[in-house]
Amino acid sequence: MSQNRREFLKKAGLGALAGLGAAAGLFPAFALEQTDMSNFTDKPVPGKVRWGMLIDTRKCLGNCTECIVRCHHDHNVPDFGKSKSEVKWIWKSGYENAFPTASTQFQNPEVLERQVLTLCNHCAEPPCTKACPTEATFKRWDGIVSIDYHRCIGCRFCMAACPYGSRSFNWEDPRSKVKELSTAYPTRMRGVVEKCNFCSERLVKGELPACVVSCAENALTFGDLNKPDSEIRKLLASNETMQRKPELGTLPSVFYII
Amino acid sequence: MNKFSQLLAAIAAGLAVFVAAWFFIQAGHHGSVPAIAADAVAPAAASPAKGAPIDSSKCILPTDYMRAHHMQELNKWRKDSVRDGNRTFVNPEGAHFDKSLNTCLGCHGSNPMFCFMCHEYANVKPTCWNCHLSPMEVPQ
Repeated sequence: MSQNRREFLKKAGLGALAGLGAAAGLFPAFALEQTDMSNFTDKPVPGKVRWGMLIDTRKCLGNCTECIVRCHHDHNVPDFGKSKSEVKWIWKSGYENAFPTASTQFQNPEVLERQVLTLCNHCAEPPCTKACPTEATFKRWDGIVSIDYHRCIGCRFCMAACPYGSRSFNWEDPRSKVKELSTAYPTRMRGVVEKCNFCSERLVKGELPACVVSCAENALTFGDLNKPDSEIRKLLASNETMQRKPELGTLPSVFYII
Repeated sequence: MNKFSQLLAAIAAGLAVFVAAWFFIQAGHHGSVPAIAADAVAPAAASPAKGAPIDSSKCILPTDYMRAHHMQELNKWRKDSVRDGNRTFVNPEGAHFDKSLNTCLGCHGSNPMFCFMCHEYANVKPTCWNCHLSPMEVPQ
């Protein structure tokens, strides 16, 4: 029987594979990997969770800026002192600026004068991630639209793509312009875009976002939109709510009770 | 045989917990728990992706390996935690670590010059501290 080298190697390979398979089946305790898979429960499943926020504008009244101050302190958001190069993660807009396409005809004048809390909407269909040429901004497994500052090249395409003005650019070095440096979170560097991250650094620790915690009026509700029995879903089901510019099809995860 | 190995594993786990607790208590006595390390310790609340508690008794991998490969390891951690959300690192000995720069600085931050001495000597200029707070900037 003639057998060339190639044939021999093929058969030998098959034999080795079969042997390994049998060994793994016979001695499960001595299988190739000794890894205990229960250690990897932290590996997230994409799309399972979708974090969302509900802002009750009836409770968010007056000149209170507690959540804004807290967020901007915790995340080392710089203050350049100029409105043109302003960096903001969460801020207040006039009703007509926040909901430019909502009807204002004969609207309750009190509502029209309301200052609405606005932040990144963490859209389910984010236009910014599609504009980013380096995939520095991306939709995470839990629905948060995140920025990888390591990758951002500062082209600002995402700022042009975002219909909500949620993104700010660091025209100067932000480190020196942070009033009170928080040691729990990094700063950014000059030439990167930044925005709200839904406090993903707090979610990892099982805490609610800083703005939600700091609100004395409990105007902000945070939760998983994919969980039918979550508090946010119950509130969404029992109240009339609005999203910003819903006609654009970005499917924002931030909702408003007017 | 199987029972025996299980027993061994249980004993080893118990020992590890004891050692970790001992180190924690020691650190508390000296009042030198670094401020940045505290934020990486995860409370036991129901969280979407729990950070693993820091075991600060030893480095994640052998010193020689880390000296040569810490940059690759850091890049890998960065990708895993920022982009994939996989925050738990398990080393070959089975110890768990949170994939965070704070895990490293939890120990190495005690020497403010730890990173800089070698980088200065090797004339490498990593950009980590453009954004992250270096041990020199964090009040000890």
